Amino acid sequence: MSINAYWMQCGACGGDTMSFLSAENPDAAEVLATAGIDLLWHPSLSNLAPARAQALTDALCSGAIALDVLIVEGALVFGPNGSGGFDLKGGRPKKDIAAELARRARYVIAAGTCAAYGGFGRGEEIDARGLQFTGSEPGGLLEPDFRSGAGLPVINLAGCPVHPAVLRSVLTAVAMDAPIPLDAIQRPADWYGTLVHQGCTRNEYHEYRVEEHEFGEKGCLFFHMGCHGPLVGGPCNKTLWNEHSSKPRAGVPCFGCTDPDFPQHAPFFETRNIEGVPLKLPRGVDRAHYLAYKGMAAAAAPLRLIERKTGV
Amino acid sequence: MSRVICDIPLNRVEGDLEIRVAVEDGGIVEAWSSGTLYRGFENLLTGRAALDALVITPRICGICTTTHLNAAARCLDEVAGIVPPDNAIRLRNIALLVEHVQSDVRQAILMFLVDFANPAYAGRPWFDEASARFAPLAGGSALEAIRETKKILEIIAILGGQWPHSSFMVPGGVTQMPNIAELVACRALIGRFRQWYERQVLGCAVAEWEAVDSLDALEAWREAAPSHGAGDLGWLLRLGTDTGVDRIGAGVDHFLSFGLAEMPRESILRRGAETHVFAAGSVRGGECAPLDGERIGESIAASHYEGYEGLRHPREGITRPRAPDGDHGRYSYSKAPRYAGEPAETGPLAEAVVAGDPLFADWIARRGPSALAREAARLTRPARLLPVIDAWLGELIRHHEEPFIVHPSGMLDGEGAGLINAARGGLGHWAKIECNRIARYQIITPTAWNGSPRDDAGVPGPWEAALIGTPVRDPGNPVEAGHVIRSFDPCLVCTVHAFDPRSGASGTLRLGGG
Repeated sequence: MSINAYWMQCGACGGDTMSFLSAENPDAAEVLATAGIDLLWHPSLSNLAPARAQALTDALCSGAIALDVLIVEGALVFGPNGSGGFDLKGGRPKKDIAAELARRARYVIAAGTCAAYGGFGRGEEIDARGLQFTGSEPGGLLEPDFRSGAGLPVINLAGCPVHPAVLRSVLTAVAMDAPIPLDAIQRPADWYGTLVHQGCTRNEYHEYRVEEHEFGEKGCLFFHMGCHGPLVGGPCNKTLWNEHSSKPRAGVPCFGCTDPDFPQHAPFFETRNIEGVPLKLPRGVDRAHYLAYKGMAAAAAPLRLIERKTGV
Repeated sequence: MSRVICDIPLNRVEGDLEIRVAVEDGGIVEAWSSGTLYRGFENLLTGRAALDALVITPRICGICTTTHLNAAARCLDEVAGIVPPDNAIRLRNIALLVEHVQSDVRQAILMFLVDFANPAYAGRPWFDEASARFAPLAGGSALEAIRETKKILEIIAILGGQWPHSSFMVPGGVTQMPNIAELVACRALIGRFRQWYERQVLGCAVAEWEAVDSLDALEAWREAAPSHGAGDLGWLLRLGTDTGVDRIGAGVDHFLSFGLAEMPRESILRRGAETHVFAAGSVRGGECAPLDGERIGESIAASHYEGYEGLRHPREGITRPRAPDGDHGRYSYSKAPRYAGEPAETGPLAEAVVAGDPLFADWIARRGPSALAREAARLTRPARLLPVIDAWLGELIRHHEEPFIVHPSGMLDGEGAGLINAARGGLGHWAKIECNRIARYQIITPTAWNGSPRDDAGVPGPWEAALIGTPVRDPGNPVEAGHVIRSFDPCLVCTVHAFDPRSGASGTLRLGGG
């Protein structure tokens, strides 16, 4: 039993491909082999001659070859003036090719936030959009009620880039036609149901409100440094990056890259706040209770944390 | 003499590239190169907070993400008037060089050597074995490269949280100092990778390879042991010679390097007053000169931009795209960077030649540049970089208690430049910051240098020049042109303003007639 897949890059940096190549145990080649996925085309890896590559794409677009999985990396570029002329393949807007392929595919996977929601370039001169969303608004390249051959909407694997374990997992699931429960913005709930905050090694700093004010100080990055960990879903601190770490663990705030509105307009390294309390509180938290709790927690903070006498 | 115009779409170049060539008697006589994607990153940065460059510029490129971060951080160091402490320089450099090593190995094996598994070579005696070795996602070397390159990248995650797309380099230093146990883990990862690289790629110890200091020494080394021919380097040299890749793709014979790996003030690698481990400078006709950043300029004469004529320094650069309709003579949204007014090649070969590497200096002096020399410089660069990474990890362990950041005081305001060598060659970021806000941000990527269009004088860019004389035996499968272009390791996603909306049927690229 084998299925095929076609990987397309649109307005992309290649980071989702690089992330996939960083998958470990099983790695990228092993997961394709063990799941039985025949990768018909990948722009960075395939060695089909140009004429044969074009014939393959034509056959998939026309339905002459049935397409199981379409993977799109990068934003769908609509600029200038809705033409898509900023991202062409052989003179044709890539967005048009992506739309044709999507309507033939049994599954459509958006690899990364750009393909899912537009990402960098959304609302800018290139008019970047996602496959089925533009930011958090339903409707992108494809209409909100689009369903692929298997009856699913676009599967949004948000992240800049997508976490390698997420992509690997979803590819394996579609190969076996396993159910993939999705959240309201079409991300697999099994992977985006945790907050980036959950599992962060700096949680104790957050618990006692021991704050980082400048880089390298160690402390919770949420209060001043712009960390989105308690605000957005993602597996980064549960399933680590490159087998080792995550940005917040290394003193870099989470920028909320799994959020449909990423990149936000506000400065990345600042937390907007009212009298020292972040404007956006951890998901679902009541402001009055949070104020009381954090005030007491700060008063209870142990000296070993305040003095950073901890390995974290 | 018949003249035929062919359009060649190329993949395995990180992004999409379309080349138009004029072919006479089976050989390329003129070439025009155009990227087909415009992403508008420079204009997207304008008006944002200065530090946002640390988040946005890495996302220009998923392959050189840490390199863009490094250039942005150095640019902002200069704006802040800070020289980061030695430990910060070591940590930044280690991440930069690890990224280079993975890029060199992945590009050489997954993107360049795979062309020897192209059906165009089906009749060669080595074809079956080459296919078993290099076929995408199946060949033995391809699987090994995928398996091992991700492991060395674990070092960047230990230092900076994740790869790709972290932002752990900040003005004045880095966001954390790993503990001793983590640094020891990094050394173990380097040691492991080095063992693999020696076994799989070189076929000998790094120390033995370091003694190969001339073309004669290279020939002797190839014959010295069967393992030297059995590694991926041995395959590259053998197949490259057999297919004539050593005789195509000469280019412009003008090499530019921004210098690789800024030297900490104290380091066992320091010999004197050098600023980099591998020196910055240019080499023209064998003559080496120190780098002068003021000699960089960009032309837009053949690009879809407006606003000036002649060359303009990126400090005053503007990115004002114009509608291509009726834009005769303009065929690319890539600007044309020039050094001292001329096109220049940048990348591992240029870096080796400028730094005075004896093997590649001898190779260029005796045979001139070629696609094979370029690719061999790339595949062997890890042999030069791995010992450097290891030395700095040792220094970090010895100097562990010393600072890793100096905080800027007050607001970021002023101009700065960050010039470094990316895996693919010289990368420059130039920023003007006003009260913590980005007023101007200009970037020149290595691929803009190598893949540039013509300038005001009509002079072609390096790989446009390198294609001349390259045979095209089958226009539907132009494997020879692929070797030449891929030897430059193009990264089109990085060409932040590359764009040609009229390629294909419109005919505006038919500058050579046809």
